[in-house]
Amino acid sequence: MMRCVPLTHIGVSGIDEPSSDADAMPMSSSSLSSAPDAAAPVARLSVTALTHTFEAEHGGAVPIFAGLDFSVGSGEIVSIVGRSGAGKSTLFNLISGLLPPQAGRIAVGPRADGTPGRIAYMLQKDLLLPWRSVLENAVLGIELFRKVTAHDLERARHMLARYGLGAVAQAYPHSLSGGMRQRVALTRTLLVEPTLVLLDEPFSALDYETRLALEDDVMALRQSNGTSVVLVTHDIEEAIAMSDRVIILGGRPARIEQALDIKLTVEGSRTAISAREAPEFRMWHAQIWGALRGHSAQLGGLAA
Amino acid sequence: MSDVTLSSTPLPPRAKRRARRDLTSAGAVAAIMIVLVALWQVAAARGWINGQLFGSPAGIVRTAQISLAQGTLVPDTLTTLYETVVGLVVGSGLGIGLGLLLWFVPRVSGVAEGFSVLLNSIPKIALGPLIVIWFGSDMTSKVWLAAISTFAVAMISSCAAAREVDRDLLNLFRSFNARPSMIFRKLIVPSALPWIFSTLRVNIGFALIGAVVGEYIASQAGLGHAVFVAGSLFDLNTVWLGIIVLTLMATLLTWIVQFAEKRIITWKTKR
Repeated sequence: MMRCVPLTHIGVSGIDEPSSDADAMPMSSSSLSSAPDAAAPVARLSVTALTHTFEAEHGGAVPIFAGLDFSVGSGEIVSIVGRSGAGKSTLFNLISGLLPPQAGRIAVGPRADGTPGRIAYMLQKDLLLPWRSVLENAVLGIELFRKVTAHDLERARHMLARYGLGAVAQAYPHSLSGGMRQRVALTRTLLVEPTLVLLDEPFSALDYETRLALEDDVMALRQSNGTSVVLVTHDIEEAIAMSDRVIILGGRPARIEQALDIKLTVEGSRTAISAREAPEFRMWHAQIWGALRGHSAQLGGLAA
Repeated sequence: MSDVTLSSTPLPPRAKRRARRDLTSAGAVAAIMIVLVALWQVAAARGWINGQLFGSPAGIVRTAQISLAQGTLVPDTLTTLYETVVGLVVGSGLGIGLGLLLWFVPRVSGVAEGFSVLLNSIPKIALGPLIVIWFGSDMTSKVWLAAISTFAVAMISSCAAAREVDRDLLNLFRSFNARPSMIFRKLIVPSALPWIFSTLRVNIGFALIGAVVGEYIASQAGLGHAVFVAGSLFDLNTVWLGIIVLTLMATLLTWIVQFAEKRIITWKTKR
């Protein structure tokens, strides 16, 4: 379903919400002004009763999560924030399949045409292979499960060009700036046509301007392709600017303290800049900041 | 070489500075060598040192001319070169191949590495008589000794290179559902290449020692043979000649490996 569609269609909230379980996510009213889809879409990602425990050095069990429940719908951007040590990275590893869950379920929903969905991830480190050119790096994901066709290369070139990397397709990564390298990584992630893109602090090593541009790139994904995004971050501003929903992890073992449907009033389309200029931005910021600092009690009934 | 002029040089100052420094130190080495050789020659000619016990530069040159004329120098050199190169290729090749392939079987890997550490701690030279008994006194035994001398180092370092591969890259490959054979070909081998080349460079010396010592023990030809025979006849000029040719051989082989490395590793790693 994901061809390189030029980014012309930009709607603000043409987002299909997941048929999510409201009891698991108290704040997720899950009925935005979405156009009613033909069929209720199956969640792109559903995490059910996820429990995970680490074994400490002295042999004792350290529970990381106890019964996490949430889901991500098609084209939805969901951020997971939490204080350091809240288990964000572990959650990332569980969702990406690098760690098998000990209890509970992590299910990746199918595509609209019924074929299996696919997760691809991107980290703060671009993880480009230094011995491969930009183009070869971009098609790595395809190459690892089937032969790269001329059509794939065409798509790769097209997407690189769209991200301003057309001229450096044959260059080695070491000659690229951090922002360019991260865009190559994004291209590599997207070329495998994921239904869900999992991001772990992907832009935190970049300068502010580049970061905003890449945030826009990611936000554009769902509009052009309906790709869902899960963003694991400690950057509250980034989470608010990009997300439809912010999930706050807290406590030990961590649970979902709050799940906030972020609604921002922006003129025109929502971009990394316009979102930050929205009148509600500070309010969301204060609310999430407060929750992270453990003041959730002050927020009345908001706490889960 | 004043810092003031250097810092005022425009673009790529570091590369330029390094090239200039390399050139300067190479010049210094050459100059010191020339002075030492000249001193040696003067000392031998004036009788300050016993020419019989120390040899002399002029004597070495004469010996070289004679053995070239007699047609022994070139065949001896080629014999030792053959033993060294084949031993290096076989020993390092097997070591590198096995060391990398052990990545597929992490459990065996630890055991095999233990064995190769054990093998590496054996003074390979001590195996010389055994090898000669098993493989005879012709070139085969020298090839084996050179191969054994290089195998363990190659295996240990390539094993480590495969094991130390960037965990995040490994996870990335896994997230793309890469089969182990794909991970091996497209990640493990390329990221081990720099290690492989540095191992090869180190192993040139080990292979050469293996071949020469093998020739010392039992042989009919080769530079080691020539050096050993000359040494027992107190023909110090021939001994020196052999040492010089061996040094040149090692240098040449190192250049070849470095050239191949530059051709193959065209990317720059910033790590």
